[in-house]
Amino acid sequence: MEFGHFLSAMTPFNIALALFGVVAGTIVGSIPGLTATMALAVLVPITFSMDPASALILLGAIYTGAIYGGAYAAILLNTPGTPSAIATTFDGYPMAKKGDGDLAVALACFASVFGGMVGAIALLLLAPPLSKVALAFGPIEYFWLSVFGLSLIASLSNGNLMKGLAGGAFGMILSTVGVAEISADIRLTFGSQVMIGGFGVVGALIGLYCIPVLIDLVAVPDRHLKVEEDVKSVRIGEAFSIAMRSKFNLIRSSVIGTLVGILPGAGGSVAGLVAYSEAKRTAKPHQKFGEGEPDGIMATESANNATVGGGFIPTLVLGIPGTPPDAIVLGALLVQGVRTGPAMFSQSGSIVYTFIYGLIIATVLMLPAGLLIGRYAYKSIVTIPKAVLVPTVGFMTIIGTFSIRNSVSDVIIMLCLGVFGWVVARFGFAASPIVLGLILGPIAEQGFVQGWTIGAATNNLFGMFFGRPISQAILAFTLVTLFLPAVLAYKKRRSAPEEL
Amino acid sequence: MLRRTILKTGAAFAVMAGLATGASADIDGPVNYIIPFGPGGESDISARLQQPFFAEKFGQEMVVSYQPGGGGAVGWASLNGLNGDGQTIMGVNLPHIVIKPAQKDVGFTTDGLNTFYMFHYTPDAIVVPAGSPYQTLDDLVADAKANPAQVTMSGSGKASANHLAQIKFDKMAGIQTTYVPFKGTGASVTALLGNQVKAQWGYTTVGAKQGDAVRMLAVAMEERHPLFPDVPTFKELGYDMTGGAYRGIALPNTASAETTKMWSDMIGEINADPAFRQKMLDGGFALLDVDAGGMADFMAARSAEYLNDAREAGLIK
Amino acid sequence: MSGVPSNRSQGHIGSLIVSAFFVFAGAVTLYDTTGYSDRDSQVFPQAVAIILIITAALSFIIRFQKPSDEGGFGRGIWWRRVLLIAGMFLACFLMPSIGFLAAGAVAFAGGLIAAMHDKWAAKTVLLYWGCGAVILVAFYSVFKFVLSVPLP
Repeated sequence: MEFGHFLSAMTPFNIALALFGVVAGTIVGSIPGLTATMALAVLVPITFSMDPASALILLGAIYTGAIYGGAYAAILLNTPGTPSAIATTFDGYPMAKKGDGDLAVALACFASVFGGMVGAIALLLLAPPLSKVALAFGPIEYFWLSVFGLSLIASLSNGNLMKGLAGGAFGMILSTVGVAEISADIRLTFGSQVMIGGFGVVGALIGLYCIPVLIDLVAVPDRHLKVEEDVKSVRIGEAFSIAMRSKFNLIRSSVIGTLVGILPGAGGSVAGLVAYSEAKRTAKPHQKFGEGEPDGIMATESANNATVGGGFIPTLVLGIPGTPPDAIVLGALLVQGVRTGPAMFSQSGSIVYTFIYGLIIATVLMLPAGLLIGRYAYKSIVTIPKAVLVPTVGFMTIIGTFSIRNSVSDVIIMLCLGVFGWVVARFGFAASPIVLGLILGPIAEQGFVQGWTIGAATNNLFGMFFGRPISQAILAFTLVTLFLPAVLAYKKRRSAPEEL
Repeated sequence: MLRRTILKTGAAFAVMAGLATGASADIDGPVNYIIPFGPGGESDISARLQQPFFAEKFGQEMVVSYQPGGGGAVGWASLNGLNGDGQTIMGVNLPHIVIKPAQKDVGFTTDGLNTFYMFHYTPDAIVVPAGSPYQTLDDLVADAKANPAQVTMSGSGKASANHLAQIKFDKMAGIQTTYVPFKGTGASVTALLGNQVKAQWGYTTVGAKQGDAVRMLAVAMEERHPLFPDVPTFKELGYDMTGGAYRGIALPNTASAETTKMWSDMIGEINADPAFRQKMLDGGFALLDVDAGGMADFMAARSAEYLNDAREAGLIK
Repeated sequence: MSGVPSNRSQGHIGSLIVSAFFVFAGAVTLYDTTGYSDRDSQVFPQAVAIILIITAALSFIIRFQKPSDEGGFGRGIWWRRVLLIAGMFLACFLMPSIGFLAAGAVAFAGGLIAAMHDKWAAKTVLLYWGCGAVILVAFYSVFKFVLSVPLP
């Protein structure tokens, strides 16, 4: 924490690396299918020839940039560039359709920088105590957390609860296809080897979100996004004042993001969904979530960038990586001979602190870099003629899906899922509940099976599922989220019975 | 080919700067090293440790990429369809490549994989948190005898090295413990540190990584691991258990005998480097030298043992 | 599509078919779980499949009793949709034999024609196809050489 580490992070070389990393990461993140994991994996050998702290700053900057970049595609194309940006599509795309895409991009940038700072400062100041959060979460807590995430389906399904639930259940079934992750069976492949690897989340996101948009785009000659006649070059000031008005939302979402980030195996997508759910639950009456509400974007984007700093907490303190990018950074550290784990802060303090300050610098640099790239991304998406935009995005979906596992069959699966998603969405089964099921299904299944196994072994199944304080708290939040709107509506109806 | 002559990424660029090229046997450009799992596991870490030594010795970059899915099956099923010119290699793991094809048709067979070197293994170990009441293996066995099934032990996945070890040890010690499968060693360690389970079936690498936070009760090696001179082997304590998860590298089966030999020699050379050995030992790994020549015998012996254990455990028919 | 709700509208029939499909998917899942050897692999898919069957059946029944025109494919030109998707599928099947770049060009061409609502003029033809070629080669190069993705 000494000032010296801050100075050693502030060398021109490190700042240049941080800037380069943020820019590269933002671009990587904005392309669906290109993940931070892939970019980091390729860059790790650099760490062999560089000063470890500088190399880590580069990796951290790319990671944080990529999480922000995921918002572009989410807002402008309704396709999360990274899984973390799933909930950004809920309000981002409606905003873009209304002609507020530039505002949405600027909001996402402010929120991401804010969330990133909260996560990084938590990492700097509170890492050892906060790492306990990772350990307090047992299988059952993960199970309830996923149930809480799934409860968002109720509010996403726009009055058609049965269809939303069916979509969620279908998504969870999709998540079980292939070799089971913790048990020893191969499920729902029907003897075919194509499906052994199951539905990859990134490929499924591209298929379910992006392909339907493309299909709808080509069918009619209208413009992709509505553009105001006098395109205001930037709407930074407007975005900033909106962000300032939502201070509380930003702080709450960033704290949620940091905490969820600490949980290994949850990650940015869950953090974004939880923060979105909370923002929606506490919404003021005039706010219409799901129809282009700025607070929805800010909740998700601040939460998912907070997971970057949060995720490094268990990675550095416990040697347990929270997300795949964290795992790559951990591997790079190991090769350097830096011993992660409980002794790391005392033994390799200078590298760790220089890295954390570097992450903070990178997050700050994301503000100008992000606004600039965001403006450029928005302008190019709205000005490129549809006839070029559609095939370009289509080609990106193919190359992106292919490169996740270098597999053509993954691309075919992605396309099939896309057409399927388009058809069912046309009849009221929206894509988001399916995606929620797909992402949260494995967390729910593993938590349930493990919790059940432990509970049965200790003859305390009820206590296992309902007796633990954190579980009870999550369960309470879930029930409130699910039933409070209904109860309020009922009360309202009781007080004004003539109103139908 | 064009792509091989272009240096990939600044990475290759940075590492190669100043190093003499050439001197490489027959590899031509960067090598694609596919890990059929996600990053962060033991397979990834050991590949990352090999990476700088490979670049230094053979003047070419080793590009590690991940192709997770199906517990490795997606990668292995695709291996023999890749180019066998020696520019692409893939990590292989025991017991995975033996157990998976024995369960169901997963698109590859154990014998169909051209495994040319097994370079290390992570010995099985029973790990408990530092604050655990189990000071010795006997404490754990005694508790499990007194309270059948109540001793919960986490591990990575089912029908895995951890699971087979648990079944085997339970049988040897005449106890009944409850195995709780997690997604990977990292998740299983988290559960252990959070006291969600009483003990863990892990590897010596867990002890190396977690240091004072955990205590290993016994390791499944012939002799004690140099990093943990105080941790007894199972054999010393009267249980005939050695082994763990073995890791090696394979080429597509279209690779020529010369290419296979070349690769076997190269990995052998890295394995012989004292600095590499030290890094591996510091990470808690145990080195192993089974080259292309000795592979058939090694695989036959290991396969027979794994299949027998799995059959007895009812994991395969 | 607006007007009196009828039992035979596209939206109505389609919704019923999709709901029925989900019920079927749940049933297939239940059947598949009977073949698993490990109880741990069974519980979750079984529970979820039952939820799927119940919810999908309920949405079927609700829709059946209260017919409406809600849903449907809406306006739009079918050949464009089909061309876009067919182009992308074709690219996948051609990829192993003609390589990634050529297959990508097939998909790109399909999408370009499908999305071209304006008149073709000499200038646009040149410009768009030129843009396409640049975009394809640029992406291909970045993925293949910078990110080391082994594209066929």
